Amino acid sequence: MNTTFSDIWQEIRYFYFNAPLAIQIAMVFIVIAVSATVIAYLVILRSRYRSYRRTKQLQKLLPKIDDLLINEILANPDIPQDVHPSKIDLPLAPFESLPLQKRWARVAMTERIIHFRSNVKGNAGALLRNLYLQLDLDKDAARRLKSPRWDNKVRALSEYVSLELPISDVTLLPLANSRNRELRAAARQAYIKLSKNEPFKFFDSVTDPLLPWDQVELFRIITTTEDIAIPNFARWITYSTNKSVIAFCLKLVVHYNQIAAVPAIIKLLDNRDHYLRGDAINALGKLRVKEAEDKLVQLYNTQPMFCQVEILKALGRTNSGKYVDFLRNEFTHATEFDLRKAAARSIARNSGRAREVMEELLATTTGQDLLILKHCMNPLIKY
Amino acid sequence: MSKILLVEDDEVMPKIISRILPEPEYQVDIAVNGKEAMQKLEANNYQYDLIITDIMMPYANGFEILSKVKSHDREKPIPVIIVSNAGNEDMIMEGFKLGVDDFLKKPIIPAELIIRVKRLLMKR
Repeated sequence: MNTTFSDIWQEIRYFYFNAPLAIQIAMVFIVIAVSATVIAYLVILRSRYRSYRRTKQLQKLLPKIDDLLINEILANPDIPQDVHPSKIDLPLAPFESLPLQKRWARVAMTERIIHFRSNVKGNAGALLRNLYLQLDLDKDAARRLKSPRWDNKVRALSEYVSLELPISDVTLLPLANSRNRELRAAARQAYIKLSKNEPFKFFDSVTDPLLPWDQVELFRIITTTEDIAIPNFARWITYSTNKSVIAFCLKLVVHYNQIAAVPAIIKLLDNRDHYLRGDAINALGKLRVKEAEDKLVQLYNTQPMFCQVEILKALGRTNSGKYVDFLRNEFTHATEFDLRKAAARSIARNSGRAREVMEELLATTTGQDLLILKHCMNPLIKY
Repeated sequence: MSKILLVEDDEVMPKIISRILPEPEYQVDIAVNGKEAMQKLEANNYQYDLIITDIMMPYANGFEILSKVKSHDREKPIPVIIVSNAGNEDMIMEGFKLGVDDFLKKPIIPAELIIRVKRLLMKR
């Protein structure tokens, strides 16, 4: 048998060394390609086998974990009801039957505890959190948070948030300004959810602009997180040097109807950035600040069109009726279509004398102006 | 013994509820989706004392089960508790419009669920 292999090898060598150079190169490439394919198949087979074995192991382990969590933690009559769950020494001996020295088992246990906590809260939720800590599963999360890989950090942060574990600002704030979008979003979410006293402190340290998508995500997190201390956003409107933070805080002021922030917003009307001025005017309109109307009308002629449109919209939203003649004047004399449209919408939105003005305009205008008026009177079109 | 139909596609919730509402006081029948729930209702001729259901489920959602249960016996319909993650205002309103008896948002406090179940069973 050895002789046969040796003969074949000798024959290959002879053929290779007597072949032309082109054939020799082709043979090398063929050998490399075939070897790489074989190695790739072996790697795929190995990973598939491992995942199959892991699935089998998990199929056996998960019911055991569920039973232990229910029998030993959630429905254990020996656990005192009158002691705070964080101060109870839980029965850990039954959990020693689980292979928790293995990483995959610890991951499965953590995921299961988080899953249970998404179903139960109160004492039961606190007991599960206590179990997680007593089994030292938090050490894995702390290790992952120090990992150089961003996906490990995101996983760790999500674990911290799900189990409401505190993280120091020193660890979290640099991640909230990370260049990686996923990590940045996860860290900000964690900061808002875990910091009970100053959940918005990272606004102070944001140096890069908050991208529109970041703003959408943050808005969702802030407005859907329960038990969050909502600060007066005027603080950042007044002092932040980051324009995107100011613009975002204006949206939050409107959402939370923070009338106390109005003086800070009015100060923004003197800002040199016309986009910020536009956002401020928009916020004043949505907050229906009638006291700002005089200043807005006074500023009107010196503003770019973007801000003029916002002023006309704001006059419609405040609905005081004080500047109906101004709106009529803009509708009849403005040369820009957008200004005429905004003025018409604001007249349609105003009540009282604005109704008479609208009827008069409907009776006297023709052509495009009449179409604008009819369009603006359609209640199905959102203002 | 009170017979309860629990409709829930999550695997953990039935385990918890079955444990906190133990036999012989309660008999908890589990359906893992809306279709199975409808089949169990038909097969048992709607002979349940209480239904606990999620909203978002495959085949038929919790509202469809609720409508069917409430329209089946208008005189003395089976009480229904919705236990769901989806607890926004619109869904809660929709649930109460369709006649739900109680609404619990996940995560639940197990002791609270027991009290609410007992209260509805006593009314019945």
